[in-house]
Amino acid sequence: MQGGSSGIGYGLKYQARCISDVKADTDHTSFLTGTLSLKEENEVHLLRLSSGGSELVCEGLFSHPNEIWDLASCPFDQRIFSTVFSTGESFGAAIWQIPEPYGQSNSSTLECVASLDAHVGKINCVLWCPSGKSDKLISMDEQNLVLWSLDSSKKSAEVVSKESAGMRHSLSGGAWNPHDVNSVAATSESSIQFWDLRTMKNVNSIDRAHVRNVDYNTKREHILVTADDESGIHIWDLRKAKVPVQELPGHTHWTWAVRCNPEYEELILSVGTDSAVNLWFASASSDNQASERSAEASRQRVNPLLNSYTDYEDSVYGLAWSSREPWIFASLSYDGRVVIESVKPFLPRR
Amino acid sequence: MATEAAPMDEKAKRMRDLLSSFYTPDPSISTPTSSISTSFDNINGPSFDADQYMDLMIKKSNLDVLLQRHVQMAAEIKNLDTDLQMLVYENYNKFISATDTIKRMKSNIFGMEGNMDQLLHKIMSVQSRSDGVNTSLFEKREHIEKLHRTRNLLRKVQFIYDLPARLQKCIKSEAYGDAVRFYTGAMPILKVYGDTSFKDCRRASEEAIETIIKNLQTKLFSDSESIQARAEAAVLLKQLDVPVDSLKDKLLEKLEQSLDGLQINPDEASKLAEHNVSSKDEESNNQGPAKIHEDAVRGFSEAMRAYREIFPDSEERLFKLARALTTTHFENMELYIRKRVSAADFLGIFRIIWEDVVLMDEVLPEAALSDLSAEAAQVTLKQFVARTFSHLQQDISDTLLKFDINQKEVVDGEVLKVVLEASGKAVLQGTTDIFQEFRQLLDENTGIFVKMNDLLIGWIQKGFQDFFRSLESHFLVLSGKTSSSNETEGLVEGKSSEKIHAGLILVLAQLSVVIEQKVIPRIAEEITASFSGGNSQAFIPGELCRVFHAASEKLLQHYIDTRTQKISNVLRKRFKTPNWVKHKEPREVHMYVDMLLQQLEEVGKEVKQILPQGTFRKHKRSDSNGSNTTTSSRSTTLHSDKMARSNSQRARSQLFETHLAKLFKQKVEIFTKVEFTQESVVTTTVKLCLKSLQEYVRLQTFNRSGFQQIQLDIQFLKAPLKETVEDEAAIDFLLDEVIVAASERCLDVTPLEPPILDKLIQAKLAKSKEHNNNNNKTTVSS
Repeated sequence: MQGGSSGIGYGLKYQARCISDVKADTDHTSFLTGTLSLKEENEVHLLRLSSGGSELVCEGLFSHPNEIWDLASCPFDQRIFSTVFSTGESFGAAIWQIPEPYGQSNSSTLECVASLDAHVGKINCVLWCPSGKSDKLISMDEQNLVLWSLDSSKKSAEVVSKESAGMRHSLSGGAWNPHDVNSVAATSESSIQFWDLRTMKNVNSIDRAHVRNVDYNTKREHILVTADDESGIHIWDLRKAKVPVQELPGHTHWTWAVRCNPEYEELILSVGTDSAVNLWFASASSDNQASERSAEASRQRVNPLLNSYTDYEDSVYGLAWSSREPWIFASLSYDGRVVIESVKPFLPRR
Repeated sequence: MATEAAPMDEKAKRMRDLLSSFYTPDPSISTPTSSISTSFDNINGPSFDADQYMDLMIKKSNLDVLLQRHVQMAAEIKNLDTDLQMLVYENYNKFISATDTIKRMKSNIFGMEGNMDQLLHKIMSVQSRSDGVNTSLFEKREHIEKLHRTRNLLRKVQFIYDLPARLQKCIKSEAYGDAVRFYTGAMPILKVYGDTSFKDCRRASEEAIETIIKNLQTKLFSDSESIQARAEAAVLLKQLDVPVDSLKDKLLEKLEQSLDGLQINPDEASKLAEHNVSSKDEESNNQGPAKIHEDAVRGFSEAMRAYREIFPDSEERLFKLARALTTTHFENMELYIRKRVSAADFLGIFRIIWEDVVLMDEVLPEAALSDLSAEAAQVTLKQFVARTFSHLQQDISDTLLKFDINQKEVVDGEVLKVVLEASGKAVLQGTTDIFQEFRQLLDENTGIFVKMNDLLIGWIQKGFQDFFRSLESHFLVLSGKTSSSNETEGLVEGKSSEKIHAGLILVLAQLSVVIEQKVIPRIAEEITASFSGGNSQAFIPGELCRVFHAASEKLLQHYIDTRTQKISNVLRKRFKTPNWVKHKEPREVHMYVDMLLQQLEEVGKEVKQILPQGTFRKHKRSDSNGSNTTTSSRSTTLHSDKMARSNSQRARSQLFETHLAKLFKQKVEIFTKVEFTQESVVTTTVKLCLKSLQEYVRLQTFNRSGFQQIQLDIQFLKAPLKETVEDEAAIDFLLDEVIVAASERCLDVTPLEPPILDKLIQAKLAKSKEHNNNNNKTTVSS
């Protein structure tokens, strides 16, 4: 509750699920968000935090043909982003480019760079290669993993390789390892799978059912954070992946998404269907303290929950840290409200 | 008077001075003070000048004074003269008496010389006579002496000739001590003349001695002989110059072997302890194993005492033996307490050991056995305390797991209740019993325990603290809450979280409450009552209460989680399987609703067995409503816009109403804190399930029929859910939310007409009724 007053809000017209940080925009703290409306005209909003940090301004409003289930901004070109959309009966994924002098007209049309049309089933997400300059993309549906090579100048995307995870594993999402561009984690019905993109093989897996979301710690190699429906948040060390390094209670209802802070390795954000955003402090992710941890943890059972932002009317699905100002995050609740909050009061002292 | 006395004194003094100057040749030494003060006017000084004095007198004094002075002087002179006369007279007297004495002496000495001469003469004659007697008797005396020597020699020879026979006699009567004494007496002679005159004699006696040695050795090694007899034999052998060291070694080895017999066999220990306890009651029957053991140890210590005396250099080994016995005692004790042992039995054994130690300590005080055993006892006691606690924990977890075999019965019968009661009792009774046992230990006043009392109190307190802490973590492991990361606990290995029955978690949760509210305060009370003097405060009830409070909440939450997880699985399957966009027209209420209700029913049943009934409580509306401080530019007319555009069919307007109602309804606080009441837990579970349902709906896209199916299912759920749940408003709200979510995700929102809805629901109800009846019939018939 205490964090509520610092929040900056912005209302979308319709319901929405996804928000993404525009990483390539180094001059401003910007976010992209898209609506999820089955029957209305869907929109993509480019939001920018004013220089004073007190206002959230809509820099661009673009109509999008279908309801957006996933949205990711290109890490090297701020005008490019990907969406996963649904017509209600079928799914599609595409790369879009924001038209050149954007922000002039209120609802200009987006330019479709490429359509990632190698899928048949329900597409879950599109992942951009986190290394920055690489033009590699991954799109994931329930059975398949497709690696794309994007040529934005030629406006085309080619399938580099495609591999089926098998009928049994219903993939639901994933994350690209920022420490190893050849490794991608994918969540499936019964496990977290680790794919090697060179061979397109599932090389490793953690048995964990019903993982809803997964994120790599960008600061610490081998550390992975997962969110489950019922049993909260788990932090894993991939070198000893049998048992989680740490467990966090998560949310009262499902924990929908988790994000590690790009700068402060201990900070983890999670959003849940209990209409709350929780900020966690998970010191356990540092591996050289791992041995001391057990003793320390038993000694001081400190509440790892730093703060809970509860000022939401509906389930919160969208969550993104700003990479430019890493103490700022954007959250998006289902009723279409974007809230920008600052975690500055909770930053660990250095 | 004083003034009168002073001149008198002065006068006497002067007189004395004068007299002394007369007797001493050097006046300056005798009266140094007066000589210093002498001047011309001092009439007593040696440098007195009469003329000068006269002059001075005449000059200084008038006539009266002079006259007075004159009279005075005349008197003084007169005095001096009389004194002088007195002295002369006395001296003369002494002189006369001295002369008289000398005269008498002279007359006495005269006539003594004649007597002296007579005496000398007589002495001379006595001497000459005695010389004559001496010479006349000399020859006879020499002869007698010779005869005497011969007789002695003959006696010795006789003894040596008799020796073999004597030795044989001794062997017969087993008087080995005498035999050895005889033999050693004859030894010097035999050594000198053995090869010549007494050859036969020597051989015979040596043979006899050999048999004696043999006999003694057999005696030494025979177990039937008493220890003293054996010790004596050892002494005799030593006197016979038989190599003793090897004997000693052999003996000590024997002693070592006898240790085995003295050990307290862990298997028999309980018997021993029993007898030890019971022998108090029946003093007459002393032949119990404890007595036997005591006798054995007594014998052992006696033997040690004997050996110590026989072989003074064997102490080290004896020490080692005694120490070994003590350590094996304690080792066996450790083995013994590995099994479940009551404090009384433990004490029994401990007493026996302590007695043994005391016995041995008496014999070998230098071995520091009491220190050794004190140390060992500390370790053992500590272990005993720890083991007792771990047994208790094992007991509790056994009670918990014993019933959890058939899961079907758990839900229907009162099994959970039984488990809870049994385990609650196990904890309460167990901790009280354990405390009583420790009281016994503390009341014990065997020397060693008294010393350790403080330590023991500390251990007990720490033991309780650790026990409760490990019990808590054990609960968490049992519940599957803590994953197997600490597999050292290892008690429920292989039991994956899915296999752990939810009811057990609930039992654990309630058990934690019982422990927090009943057991810990009680133990705290007893501890403060019993160890009021104890300064170590290792037992911190406040902290433990907090721990268990947290644990109970955690476990309750975990129970709800496991339950909702199960329901979630049902829902997940329901929503993942069909293609909702191509759903067929609803014909009946889907069967997942039954499963959902069944699960909830199970929860209700479990909860009813375990948790107390809460007071009925109206749902609290969120007071956080309206605290919307974020600036929102959202238009609130979203739904109304949407709905306004939709046509005005009756059914649609019905939906519109739901939407509107939602807008104006206050935000319902769905996620309230769970309380330890039946209603609270059921309500929370239902709420979470409905929320999950809503979320699953939101992830799908529905066609008209799909939406209608959802509508139907929800409509059906409404009545039974409201029955089970205290918070109707929240349930209504959540059910509506599901419908709203479905309508939002629907391509063509056309709700079912209420009559059709009713009809389908009635059909379902009838069907389930019939099903129930059938079930009842089958149960009755069977």
